[in-house]
Formats: sequence, C-alpha cells, structure tokens
Amino acid sequence: MSAPSEDNTAAHAQLASQFFGDLLESIIVDVASECHRIARLGLDQNLEDEEEELKLSTQARVRAADPGNSGEANSKYVVDIFGQTHPPVANEVFECMNCRRSIMAGRFAPHLEKCMGKGRKASLKAMRSSTAAQNRHSRAALLGYSPYSNSNGTTRLSNGSTSIAGDELSNGTCDEP
Amino acid sequence: MSSSSSAAATAACCRHLASFLSSAGTSPFDLPSPSSSAVRFCSSCNAAGPRLYACLSCPSVRCHLHRNHHNDHLIAVDILRGELFCSACSDQVYHPDFDSHLILSLGTPPTPFADLGRRKRRKVEYRPWAPAEAELAAITSGSTVINPTKEESGGFDHPKGLRGLNNLGNTCFMNSVLQALLHTPPLRNFFLSDRHNRFACQRKNGVVFGNDSGNGKGRSSCLACDLDEIYSAVFSGERAPFSPAKFLYSWWQHAANLASYEQQDAHEFFISILDGIHERIEKDHGRPQSLGNGDCCIAHRVFSGSLRSDVMCMACGFTSTTYDPCLDISLDLEPHPCAPTKATSSKSHRPCNGEVESALSGQGSAIPTLMGCLDRFTRPERLGSDQKLFCQQCQMSQESLKQMSLRKLPLVSCFHIKRFEHSSTRKMSRKIDRYLHFPFSLDMTPYLSSTILRRRFGNRVLPVDGEEPDQNEPSSKLELFAVITHHGKLDAGHYVTYLRLSNRWYKCDDAWITQVNENIVRAAQGYLMFYVQKMFCYKASDKMATSS
Repeated sequence: MSAPSEDNTAAHAQLASQFFGDLLESIIVDVASECHRIARLGLDQNLEDEEEELKLSTQARVRAADPGNSGEANSKYVVDIFGQTHPPVANEVFECMNCRRSIMAGRFAPHLEKCMGKGRKASLKAMRSSTAAQNRHSRAALLGYSPYSNSNGTTRLSNGSTSIAGDELSNGTCDEP
Repeated sequence: MSSSSSAAATAACCRHLASFLSSAGTSPFDLPSPSSSAVRFCSSCNAAGPRLYACLSCPSVRCHLHRNHHNDHLIAVDILRGELFCSACSDQVYHPDFDSHLILSLGTPPTPFADLGRRKRRKVEYRPWAPAEAELAAITSGSTVINPTKEESGGFDHPKGLRGLNNLGNTCFMNSVLQALLHTPPLRNFFLSDRHNRFACQRKNGVVFGNDSGNGKGRSSCLACDLDEIYSAVFSGERAPFSPAKFLYSWWQHAANLASYEQQDAHEFFISILDGIHERIEKDHGRPQSLGNGDCCIAHRVFSGSLRSDVMCMACGFTSTTYDPCLDISLDLEPHPCAPTKATSSKSHRPCNGEVESALSGQGSAIPTLMGCLDRFTRPERLGSDQKLFCQQCQMSQESLKQMSLRKLPLVSCFHIKRFEHSSTRKMSRKIDRYLHFPFSLDMTPYLSSTILRRRFGNRVLPVDGEEPDQNEPSSKLELFAVITHHGKLDAGHYVTYLRLSNRWYKCDDAWITQVNENIVRAAQGYLMFYVQKMFCYKASDKMATSS
C-alpha cells in the first residue's frame, strides 16, 4: 500500500464502514429470517401463557409469605375436610401380618423392622444409620419422616406431648417455610 | 405432517409461489448447491451482497435492491439463507417441497428424520362404551352403591377417593407417593376397573386369602395386589384414615436394601414400587423383558417414556443416536443467575454495570422455572476435551456435542427436581431450597425430538414418512394433577402431597386432608411434579376385541 495520506485514510474508513454495515445487516437479516420462518409456520410457543403463569406464581408467593394467611396451617391439629381430627401418632390398632400381634399404626414400621429381622439392636442401628446416611448423601436423596420420631430409632412416648410438624429436625432447629 | 403445521405451511405459501410450482415442471428448485464457492454478483449493480437472490425462472442473480419484477419472474431464492422470496408479496414464503429439496441437496442423510416416524399403530376414533344389559345387571346385583349423603360429607361435595393415610412411623415418603398414584388418572382407572383383581391374583398364585401360617413367608408379595387393596379402601367412601401396612410389608420384601425404619427418599420409593409392580407382573405373565415397548405392565404403560440422546462429532458432524426408556425425568435446578440483592435494583440511577444486571433480572430469569430446567435438559451440551468420544466417521476420538430430547412422552410425566448439591471440598451434600416455578399447564412440544431435530436443521418443515408424532397435537399438552413437596433438611424432613381434583386443590399430609387455595400450591417447594396428557389417543389394537 502507498504511504497513508488523507485520501487513503478516508477511503479505508469508508470501506471499513461499508464492510461493517454489510456484516451487521447480514446478521440482522439472519435473525429476522429465522424469526419470520418460526412465526409464519406457527412454530413458536405461547409466550403469553408462560408470562401469565409466572405472574400468578409471583403473586401466590407474596400471598403465601403473608403471615396473616392461614392457608398453610402447619399444625397437626386442624380439622380435615370431613370434619375429623386425628392424634399426632396414628392410634389405629391392627394385626401385624408377620407375627400376628396387635400393633398401633404409628408404631408399626419400627415394629415390623424388628419383626422381619431387618432391624438390629439400637446401638448397631445408630452406627448403621450414620453409614446409611453417608451412603444416602452420595445417593443424593431427600428424606422424609414423621415429625414425632427422630431418625435414630428411639421413639417418643405417646404421652400426648405436643409436636408440631416441622419442629422435630435432628438438630433441634425449627425450619419455617 | 401434522395437520396444523401443514396448514400453516400452506398458508405460508403465497398464490404466486403456488402458481409458479404448478407450471414449473419436475425440478422447480434446482439450483447450484449453496455450498458452491463461486462468488456471485448482482447483475444490475454488481454488488456482492449482503443479500443476493437467485431467480428460479432464469439464471440471474440480483441483490435485494434489484430483485423485483424482472420479466415477471416472481420467485427467487436467498442464496445464503436458502429461503424463498416472492417479489409480488415482497415477503419470504415457504413450501415444504423446497425444504425437503434443500435438505436432500445438502447431502444430509434423511435417517434422523425417518427415526421420528417410528412404526406406529394407526390412531382410531374413540368409541364410547357402555355395559350390556346383562353386565349391568351383574354389576348392580353384586355391589353396593357408595353415595354419602350431603350431611355425612359435611355439606360439601368432595371428590371421591380422598382419604388420609396413617403415618406408620417415618413413612410420609410412602404416603405422599401413594396419594399421587391413587389419583393418577390412568392408574386409578386401571385398578378401579378391576384390571388387577387381588383375589384372582392371589388364587392364581396359590395364596389362600386370609389363611396365613403365621410367619407370612407363604405369601409372596404382590405390590399390585396391595395397591389394589388401597384403591378399594380409599374409594370406598370410608373417611377414617387408612393404614397402608400391608403395602409397607410387601414393599420391604421387594426392596430389601431400603427396608428399614428410617427416613427415605420419595423419588427412590416411587421408582422402586414401579419396578416392583413390573417385576411381579412380568413374572406372572411369563413374558420376556421388553424394554422400551412400554406395554409390559401397567406401571410402564402409564409412566414409561423414551429419551433420545444425540451425540454429534464436532469435527465431521456425524451424529450417533441412542434411545433409552425412562420412568421419570430428573432435572437439575438452574444455577442461580445473579445475586438476589441486585434482582430488584431499579434501572434508573445505577451506573451501566448495574443497568446490565437489572436488565437481565428484569427478564424474569431470576426465578428458576420448570420450563427453564427442561430447556437446560434439552440444550446442546459441549462435552469437554477430557470427554472425547469415538466418532465412527472420523475413526478417532473427537470433541462432541450432546443433546437430549423426548422421543415419546409417557401418559403421565413425573418430573423430579434434584434438590441437592454435593460439595466435593466439604464432602457433604446439602439441600437446595430455592423456589422453582412450575406451571399448571405444560406444553412439551419444544422438548420433543421432532422439534429439537427440526430446530437443528433450521426449522425446516421435515419430510417425515407418515404422521409427524405429537407436534402441535393435544397429546403434547399436559395438566398438573399432583405435587409432592418436601419441607426440611436433606436428612430430616416431611413430605406433603397436593392433589388437584375437580379443579380444587387438596393438601394430603399423612392422615390430614384439607382443601387449600391454589396459591398455596403455586408457592410450594415442588420436588416431584406429576402431569398427565390432556387428551389420550387410542391406538388400533392388534387383538380382536373379546370379552374376557
């Protein structure tokens, strides 16, 4: 190229500007063409529905966070839709299908474990629980239980002491929603 | 092509294009291949771009400024983008024949598309069925009507099948899944129509009902029988909570490794019992394993879908495809897009840094959504250079791109949100409590293999033999009917199920059934979400219809 002079610089700048303009237009037309195809062939999703749903969900969360809202009454002392109340530990009694003894419903699982020979003595159980818990961590699972028995197998006495769902976490803290 | 996409395609073809095609002969779209390296120029102004159109009626090429109306030649092709243009309409127009011609001319083998048109039995019209006189008489004489009076049901007309389940000691994981299954429409219909009669099953298997020797070992457990018993109990009209003790017993016999008085994971339990039902029914019927067919047992007929996995070599483009059956879809929670404190910043007085962030969060992307998770699940993922896969065409390991999609939607889709993260540094896991938005109605079309493939090929209208499955058809539209939520920590928490019946929401918390406002459900922390296809299609049966 010849030595840069004002004319050359201006011409280069104009060329560069033209190339840029062409590239930009090409990109824009690419996008426009794709969107045009999607729109004309009816391939796009219903975006309005999605936005509507998100709006409803945000409103719902605001309302749920309002402490005045009793919708999520956490207590086990509510009256159900049939007008019934139930004790925290299920007290229906039935026959164990393994050993024929009469067992209370809320105690059935720990009984069955020993009855089927799947459980072990309490001390061994505590060790296995922690191993199982470690395995469970690697398996990545969410555990769920009833709030009136803690996880290492010792059960609470059914002396009517109150227990509210969500209170009984293994470290004693209370998780609020 | 499905009716609605071909209707749209027809509308997108203007009358000028239609008349051009009718008079154009056998190869109207023949042009030099787009990959030709010859540089073209506009014959009017000699411009080389940015948009050049090749006329379909004569061998001339013009830029967009000069493309109109030469010699009444109306149709041209944008040579860079492969799109038809009509000068009379001054608009881009479309035709399926052009799309298929283009794809074939690119040398792409049509096999990926042929896979989509899998061998399907033809769909038939729904024919309503009513029992014959004799059948009706037999039903009436052999049964009692369940019809609680208004007073008995407390003045409310609650849907049938609502009954609490007693917690037997750390069993809320079981109760929550049972409640969802009890109200899974095709599963409920199966059991309530006596398709697995527990008395018949036990008689066949030599178990005399009620006559146990005392150690229970004589009775081989059948989870389907126990489920049948629960259905009968829950739909009986009895309102006192039911204790699913027999079911627990049977399940522990099946899943020995999970049989302990401990907290369990609801998703694990769900998969385990579907597996148990499958094994037992297969054993009884003596049918060989038929993976992917989905017709082996009711568990698979309801929940089994098919996932497609495409691995594309980034060097040569060769794609290898595999199909895997799935009973559910496990989704990772979207990673947190930006720090929560910035999410509400106003756009006004922040410097440009803050403006960008607030613009991003203003999109609503701050809240993870189920559809967002599905987008992530089906997006192309670049496998790292440490994960090179062997490419058959290149005959060496290459970097590849992997993409998942749904080949076949199950009747009922269970979405499992992986609400845990592992920290390899601290060698522990913790639960992610972040809220996830889930819609009450969900359209799965964008995640189907047909859509994903179509998008991969520039959204061309594909030349599929037979019907294009599921696209724009009601069977891709799903409705939410059950949500299982978890509250608490990873190793200690509580499960609750929300059921949607007659468009009312009911909270099933072990023995306590209460009605709740839908906002409670929207705001809940979903762990397992159950969606059912809005409309079922009936396939022609291979078997002659006989009364069994």
